[in-house]
Amino acid sequence: MEPFEPTIVAFVCNWCTYTAADLAGTSRLSYPKNIRLIRVMCTGMVDPQYVIKALLEGADAVLVSGCHPGDCHYINGNYKARRRIRLLKEILPRFGFEPERLRLTWIGASDGIQFAEIMRDLTSQIRAIGPSQTRQTMII
Amino acid sequence: MSHATGHILVVGAGIGGMRTAMDLAETGHAVTLVEHAPHVGGLLASLDHQFPTNHCGMCRMLPRLDRDQSVQACLRKGLTHERIHIRTDTDIMAIDGDTGNLTVTLRQKSGYVDARRCMGCGACADVCPVDIPDPFNAGLSTRKAIHSPLPHAWPALYQIDGTACTRCGECRTVCPTNAIVLPAGEKSHFRVLVVDDEAIVRESIRDWLREEEGFHVDVADSGPAGLSLLTNAPYHLMLLDIKMPGMDGVDVLRQASTLSPDTQVIMMTAFATVETAVEAMKIGAMDYLIKPFEPDALIPKVMQVYDRVAAMTDQTIQVQAVILNAGTTLYDPSSGKNNLGYQTHPGVVTSLEFERIISNSGPFAGKLVRPKDDRPVQRLAWLQCVGSRDFQSDGDFCSSVCCMISIKEAVLAREKYGPNLDAAIYYMDMRTYDKSFQRYRDAAERDHGIRFVRGRVHTMIIDPETQDLVIRYADRSGDMQESIVDMAVLAIGQRPARAMPKLADMCHLPLNSWGFAETQPFSLTRTAKPGIFLGGSFTGLKDIRETVILSSAAGLNASRALQSGVTKPVTDALPAPRTRDVSRELPAIRILICTCHQALQIDTDLLSRRLRPCPSLLGIDIVTAICTPEGSEAIGRILNASDFNRLLVAACPQEMHSGIRRDLAQMTGLDRNLIDCVDIHTPIFRKGLTEHPDIHAEMAHILDMGIHRLAGANPLASELTPIHHHALVVGGGVAGMTAALALADHGVPVDLVEKNATLGGNLCWIQETLQGDKIPPFRAELEQKISKHPNITLYTQTTVAGFSGQTGGFVTTLEGPEKKVTTSRHGAVILATGGMETPVQGYGYGQSPAILTQKELEEQIATHALNIGDPGSVVMIQCAGTREEPRNYCSRVCCATSLKQAMMLKSQNPELAVYILYRDMMTYGFTEHLYTRARKAGVVFIAYDPEAKPTVMVDGNDVRVRVMEPVLNRVLEIQADRVILAAGMIPSPNTDICGIFGIKPDPDGFYQEADIKWRPVESTREGVFVCGIGLSPGTISESIATAEAAAQKALALLFRPEILRSRTTARVRHSLCSLCQLCISACPYGARQMESDLNRIVIDPLMCQGCGACAAICPNDAAVMDEWLPQHMFGVIDAALA
Repeated sequence: MEPFEPTIVAFVCNWCTYTAADLAGTSRLSYPKNIRLIRVMCTGMVDPQYVIKALLEGADAVLVSGCHPGDCHYINGNYKARRRIRLLKEILPRFGFEPERLRLTWIGASDGIQFAEIMRDLTSQIRAIGPSQTRQTMII
Repeated sequence: MSHATGHILVVGAGIGGMRTAMDLAETGHAVTLVEHAPHVGGLLASLDHQFPTNHCGMCRMLPRLDRDQSVQACLRKGLTHERIHIRTDTDIMAIDGDTGNLTVTLRQKSGYVDARRCMGCGACADVCPVDIPDPFNAGLSTRKAIHSPLPHAWPALYQIDGTACTRCGECRTVCPTNAIVLPAGEKSHFRVLVVDDEAIVRESIRDWLREEEGFHVDVADSGPAGLSLLTNAPYHLMLLDIKMPGMDGVDVLRQASTLSPDTQVIMMTAFATVETAVEAMKIGAMDYLIKPFEPDALIPKVMQVYDRVAAMTDQTIQVQAVILNAGTTLYDPSSGKNNLGYQTHPGVVTSLEFERIISNSGPFAGKLVRPKDDRPVQRLAWLQCVGSRDFQSDGDFCSSVCCMISIKEAVLAREKYGPNLDAAIYYMDMRTYDKSFQRYRDAAERDHGIRFVRGRVHTMIIDPETQDLVIRYADRSGDMQESIVDMAVLAIGQRPARAMPKLADMCHLPLNSWGFAETQPFSLTRTAKPGIFLGGSFTGLKDIRETVILSSAAGLNASRALQSGVTKPVTDALPAPRTRDVSRELPAIRILICTCHQALQIDTDLLSRRLRPCPSLLGIDIVTAICTPEGSEAIGRILNASDFNRLLVAACPQEMHSGIRRDLAQMTGLDRNLIDCVDIHTPIFRKGLTEHPDIHAEMAHILDMGIHRLAGANPLASELTPIHHHALVVGGGVAGMTAALALADHGVPVDLVEKNATLGGNLCWIQETLQGDKIPPFRAELEQKISKHPNITLYTQTTVAGFSGQTGGFVTTLEGPEKKVTTSRHGAVILATGGMETPVQGYGYGQSPAILTQKELEEQIATHALNIGDPGSVVMIQCAGTREEPRNYCSRVCCATSLKQAMMLKSQNPELAVYILYRDMMTYGFTEHLYTRARKAGVVFIAYDPEAKPTVMVDGNDVRVRVMEPVLNRVLEIQADRVILAAGMIPSPNTDICGIFGIKPDPDGFYQEADIKWRPVESTREGVFVCGIGLSPGTISESIATAEAAAQKALALLFRPEILRSRTTARVRHSLCSLCQLCISACPYGARQMESDLNRIVIDPLMCQGCGACAAICPNDAAVMDEWLPQHMFGVIDAALA
């Protein structure tokens, strides 16, 4: 049997993490291929619907990543994301998702290495948890 | 109504140059931004963190009004703006002429890599055998001879360091796009193309040039064959026959000049067609040869081209004004008499090197180790004033920023490496003179455990046993102390910009004693030479806030010079785009894929099958090289043929950041919203997938996501917000008058409101500046200009009573004498409400006429009312009202004022004893020189601690000051004829003003700026700008600079009748809105309001910055952002998971 390769959707903010992802690319750091980056203007615009939608559509994990606290291009969008993700983690188990399948990180524009590290780390963590069951059966 | 605009040159593309360029571009000027380095960003390109946030934030400098003019992305990656032409690797060779008509000669270095072909894949660097120190990491790591100068630059273009390259040619063999043209220093890399139908001519030229001369020669037997070679790789020279069957030489020349404009062409002609050859020279050929010719005729002509290519090429441009914003360089400690162990001891680094060491993108990936011996670091010391405040290194000045840099670095180190790290700063005076500095320093000491040690380190030795660093310094009482550390960070000071002598010579700029350019009195940006202005740090190192202010001010003055009628007014070159209305059509998308000179092999059928079925997708077209004229021709053909209404361009990141979207919008008549670019090259080239079978799957993924985003694009043409061409300036002090004149000179009608009966503010009592310039005539001149200016209406004894409306169309109510109320409309507002001397409490003030404030002393000096007994003594007490809670800030001017007044008194009576009791002498920049002069003149300086403040005892006429003298270590009692209290400044009470204008004050009552570093003259409300002492304490010329900067910002709003709505701006779908108003509190910009008359939520489109917070919080999807509608985000998520 082939080893399980998780599919991860990452909502990354236009200003910091997207830049870091690009830096990881230009620095040609290796990180797992199965990360699908979706650029958003700010983590503060990541509607909980998007996270749940991604999980229901087959993502094994969702990453939301933006600027460090105090560094948001839009003043405080990342704080809004932090509150929202915290609440989402409360709700996710009710849908049958382990809260570990949702992660929030801060990756600054010059943190290309951190970006690659977090991607590797998240992938191995999700690999250990195994595939998301809920895409077959949704428990309510 | 629009002011005259022109072409302005900005020299230096650090943050100062970028700020000036963006400001001018935002006010309608065309800008050429020239930079010596291969990238923009200057010093800040290497620095990841700035205080007070300890993060970056450079992106906050981006234009906010017409945001789509520049690429909305991290500014450290690069700047892209429609009206700014950036030329990196370029030097200024000559500047001739005057305002309105300057001729500038530019010289661009060749990077030997064709920027239009380079994909940034890095394959070349993998094979390059040359390692040299990397300046990006302050030389702490190495890079290859072929390299990308900035790892995070976008596009990540590579270039060759011509001096390091060995011309081995390895990189050329691996480059997938044939982008590399090796330095022509070696003949084998000089590429010649011979196009002739006669084999004998081709062959013999090839033999002469290749075998005899060693050039690289390719041959082609026909025009089309030649052009195809030219398409595949660049050539320096083409030898082209005129008479060829099929396509003749002139046709080939025509096509070649668009295909490869840099290629030089020599025509080869028979005697009969010489006239044609002469004609060919008119369309771009450089020369011709008459057949038959001998090698002796050919080779000199080829050598002529070879030599020219080998040398660099100069170019002249015509501009109307020049702004020198070339920054400063930093002191090299190894060049001084006392190198403090730099480059000899392990663990001695400069502040810049330290910043690279702790950077996550630095040489050690963020690990804190000593560069030379990799030893971990636990004990850190910062050594202040290295190369500054130092006669030995000819640096009798303060470099202004090093104190704060060291505090920031210490805080970062403790935050990052934990509280076990010992961090100490060894200093003489902690110069925390600017807004927010003092509290940052206090927090560093209190919350982060940074140790501040007063004492200058003079000796650094290394313990041979332990390899520890031993630093020696004299403490406050003069005793020698020793301290052992692992790493010492040298806080290096400023030196003039490298280009300073050359630029100063070209522009006839006077230099001060240390080689920095000087400006005119009462200005920090204007020079004696018309048309030449100085911005940012060019006149001495500044922190980001001041750099930004001075750069905006320089831009304003340059723009103002163009208004004087010297130049013919150029009407605004920003035409309102005419777009086709497609709002009633279903989305119909065409995809254009650029194969980058066929480096990608794409099978469109296979790709179409891989894409998820989408009814909106019409088809896929392939273009060989979108960036070439040939490419745009091909696009033209494709676009004429089909009935699409949205266009997705899949190309390299360069295209995402070039003006292609605008060009395509013009070509197609589609709104910019409906054209999008995706980067397919980065994932494919970087992952090395060019030959991989997965290439189509990878590409389909990217295209799918792009299609879904584009299908969701708003088809309605961008709306326009009208701007009322009228400004309001509140406050008639120096800042208010300056701001009003600046706007009025640009043709903007200004209402200037002053609450008092007369203008002038604090200018009314100050007699002269530190530099000795007299204030009263300056004030009279300003007042006269105001009263005579046709565009200024002055309202004295008037206040603002009401303020409402949206950015660009505010409604203001003014209340004049006898409660007369008028209402008018203003597009923008500048607040310059000023400040005053802090009311003093304590120090015996009020108990004796001998105890005065600085202001009272100034007035007594002016009226000759001062009479001090002979010999007499004066005690000046600094920080007598500020720098502790609740007014925990430095007022900037009091230390220098005390020095000025001390020198005034000393000049009247050299025998007078003057004592200055201080905490830290805040003589930043070149005012340090005044401090030196005062010490030489015999002024006695005594440092005191805030815990042991001086006390003043009054007994009838006898006034005594008691203070702890640290060197003698005992209490001194000084009998004083006068005690002068340096009370500092407070803002004029502005709680009402803040309330009326809906903006925020800072904790000390000054206006809070939108961002203290990057947007220092903008208030927390769009369209309301702040300057002068109401913003922060400062000298007269500093207040003037803030006023000019505020006027420049206001002009960006006012200069056009309407502003285009940016792509990412929020909307309200009123039919879905339940008026819960959650979005109003979520909006970080206050752009949303409940309009009770209409009973709906309205958005100020110029305030909205498109963060999408409202859309995320709205329970009904009534708040939406174009391009990010939920249904389309769902589509993108589906595409991502397909």
